[in-house]
Order: sequence, then C-alpha cells, then structure tokens
Amino acid sequence: MPEPSTTHGPTPSPTAPARALRLGVCGPVGTGKSSLIALLCRELSERLELGVVTNDIYTDEDARFLRSAGVLDADRIRAVETGACPHTAIRDDITANAMAIEELEEDYEHRLEMVLVESGGDNLTATFSSGLVDVQIFVIDVAGGDKVPRKGGPGVTFSDLLVINKTDLAPMVGADLDVMRRDAAAVRGDRPFVLISLTEDPAASAVLDWVRAQLQVAQDA
Amino acid sequence: MTGPVHADLVLMLLADARLPVAGHTQSGGLEPGIRDGLGPQDVPAYVDVRLRTVTEVEAATAVLAGRLLRTGAPDAAWLDLEQAWEARTPSPALRDASRRQARALLRIARRTWPGAPAWTALEALEHPSRAAALGALAGHLGLEGRAVAHLVGYDDVQTVCAAALKLLPLDPGSVVGWVVAALPAVEAMATRVSSVAEVDDLPATTHPLIEVWAQAHAATTRRLFHA
Repeated sequence: MPEPSTTHGPTPSPTAPARALRLGVCGPVGTGKSSLIALLCRELSERLELGVVTNDIYTDEDARFLRSAGVLDADRIRAVETGACPHTAIRDDITANAMAIEELEEDYEHRLEMVLVESGGDNLTATFSSGLVDVQIFVIDVAGGDKVPRKGGPGVTFSDLLVINKTDLAPMVGADLDVMRRDAAAVRGDRPFVLISLTEDPAASAVLDWVRAQLQVAQDA
Repeated sequence: MTGPVHADLVLMLLADARLPVAGHTQSGGLEPGIRDGLGPQDVPAYVDVRLRTVTEVEAATAVLAGRLLRTGAPDAAWLDLEQAWEARTPSPALRDASRRQARALLRIARRTWPGAPAWTALEALEHPSRAAALGALAGHLGLEGRAVAHLVGYDDVQTVCAAALKLLPLDPGSVVGWVVAALPAVEAMATRVSSVAEVDDLPATTHPLIEVWAQAHAATTRRLFHA
C-alpha cells in the first residue's frame, strides 16, 4: 500500500487565495438559529462579503427562509442535504458542507469575508468539526427550560459563544434567568455567553459585537 | 506507516461508512422511489435490480479504471472510458450525483495519498465520474478487479439499505438480513464485470424508473438525500 501523507491538513501555500472566516451556528430545533443568521446577514452584509450554507431536514427549508427574508442575494445562500444526519454533516463527515463552502468561495472569486454555516436543528451533543468552521456559536433558548445550561454537552460547554435566546419568554415559561446565568458560567468557565431577546433588541448587539471581534481577530491573523 | 498491508485492509477502509466521503447524503435513488410508491417490502428487489443495471455499469467502469491505471493507459483511454460511462448513464441527475461523489472521494484521497499517479491520470477528465475516481484510487491502492466490483456492489447495497432505515419504519435487524441476502447478487455481478478489459466489454444496462426518479428528485426541494 502506498504511503499516506503524514501531515494533518492541507498546508496553506503563500499564494493560496484568501479564505473567508467560517462561523458555525448550531443548537436544538427552534431556538432561533435561522433568525440569528438572518440578523447577522442584515446587519453585516452592507460592509462584508457574506455567504451562507444551510443544513435543514429537507434540503432548503432554512435557505428559503433566508432568501425570503431578503437579507442576502439568493445565490449566496446554499443548501446541503444531510441524509437525515445533521450531526454527521457538521462533525464526522464534513465533506458536503466543506464542498458547499468551497464552491461559494470559488463562485465569488475568493472575495467572501465570512461564510456562516447553519447546522440542522440537533440535540445538545451537536458540535462543529474544527475542520469545517473556525469559530462556532451554540444557540439555546429559554423556552427549552432553565435546566439546559446545567445539562451541558459540548455545545453548551465548549462553543466559542453560547447564546441563550428568547429571554422575553422567561416569565411565560417559568424559566429563571439567574439560574441559567449561574449554570452557564459554571460550565463555561472563561468562555463567553450572552442572553438575548430579539423582540427587545432586534439587532442582538451582544452577538454582533462578538462576531465583529472574531472578524477582527481573523483579519489581524 | 510502513510495511506490507493486505488488500483486505484496503477494501475495508474504502467500504467503511466512516470514511468521510459524504456517503450519508446518498440514498441510491431510494428516496424518490419511496415518494413514487415503493414500500419496505420492495427494497430487496430494488437493490437487486440496481445490481443488475446501474450498479453493474458503475462497477464495470470502476474495474476498467483500475486496469487503465495499472497499465498506464494514455489520456485518450480515460476519455473513452468516461464517454462510455456517460452513454450508459443517460440521466443528467445521475451523472451529476456521481460526479459530486467523485469530488468528495477525491478530496480526501488526494489529501491522504498526495502525488499519486492516479490523480495525474484523472486529469484527463474535467469532472470524473465516481466510478472512474474510485477505480483509479482502488487501482492505486492495489485492489484487483473483483475487489473493486465487490466494493462498488457492496457499497450500493449498504447505501440503499441504510437510507431505507431513515426513510421507512424498519427494524435494523431486518435490514441486515436484506444486505446478507443481496451478497450472492453482488458476487454474481462481480463475476460478470471483474474481467472487463476494454470499453466494448462494458455492460450497457439501465433502468428507466431509476433514471426518471433521479430526474424528479433533482427538481424537488423536499429532499433528505442528495440522490
């Protein structure tokens, strides 16, 4: 059998085209991933070259949502089939998503500055491969119960940013935001988390600030 | 890694669903078939029909690709092979699905075995089919024709059966039984194609429904699987 390569990844050549920052967004179904991505597109697309890859249950449910939101050119939003394996498609076999990102980058002649990858709604164990995204946001919501941060899992614990969404619903679902804050801080250590309500702050300033900081870090590097 | 490696180990590596080549995005045409009325009871027959039609063509093409690589065939031979496969795969959707699978396979193969002569040979083709890519890789790794045919046949059976588990209410134990029951048909198909030596030896069998379903599937937005 011929010798395989011993390197751990493609070596970027000095002449390699510029690569967009890849930001992954995952989290359970219905927590607000698509709305958050629509918001990021709306707030950032004027100044940044953006692309989006979505992974919904059926091919392009989320892609259609984003296209109909009119926040980004339809062609910049690509849908990937996951064969009912949303988890596999972002972690164990990232090929289909990686190919979609590469196609977007090629189609836009390597001008894209950020590609957002939206996972299909999954459970608390979902997490992106570091081979697919550079940084990742994990989104949970108050309506899922204030126990979720305590339950932990790789997304809640190790994502680069944990977003606890829909805080305006807390009184209606009997969720204690202080408990969520306390438990999130306990499992995450120094890693940041934010509590947001898109009805109270439609721009989700805390998330936007964090994403801008990531872009700055990527640019400086 | 140095030292001798038995071909069995190479075959296991390439047949393993854990190989990241986006295999989980494929249903082998089962998803549109189910939308058009196939039920759980039809899956074993569907697998069998594929092994005698589209999968036999794919396997024979892959066997010949492996042979072209081993014999250092010129670009013209690779072009002939690809055109023969195209002529035997009339559905554009099936050709597109095959080429996307080839890209996925070559992505990981080029990274794992950089500089292999197989990649130079495939440069003759703008968008190689999965059969050409898989045959070239298998040839590079030293698999014989029968092993290549086993790989293509077995993978097709498992692709359809694994997709069935996600599309239909089934017991995984029953599905293992279907796979085992299909193995003699895989063997018979391998026997038919393992000695393919030139383009004119390639079988030219297809199934109109598989082609029609593939075209319909490519046009729908309600897909779990790419093809």
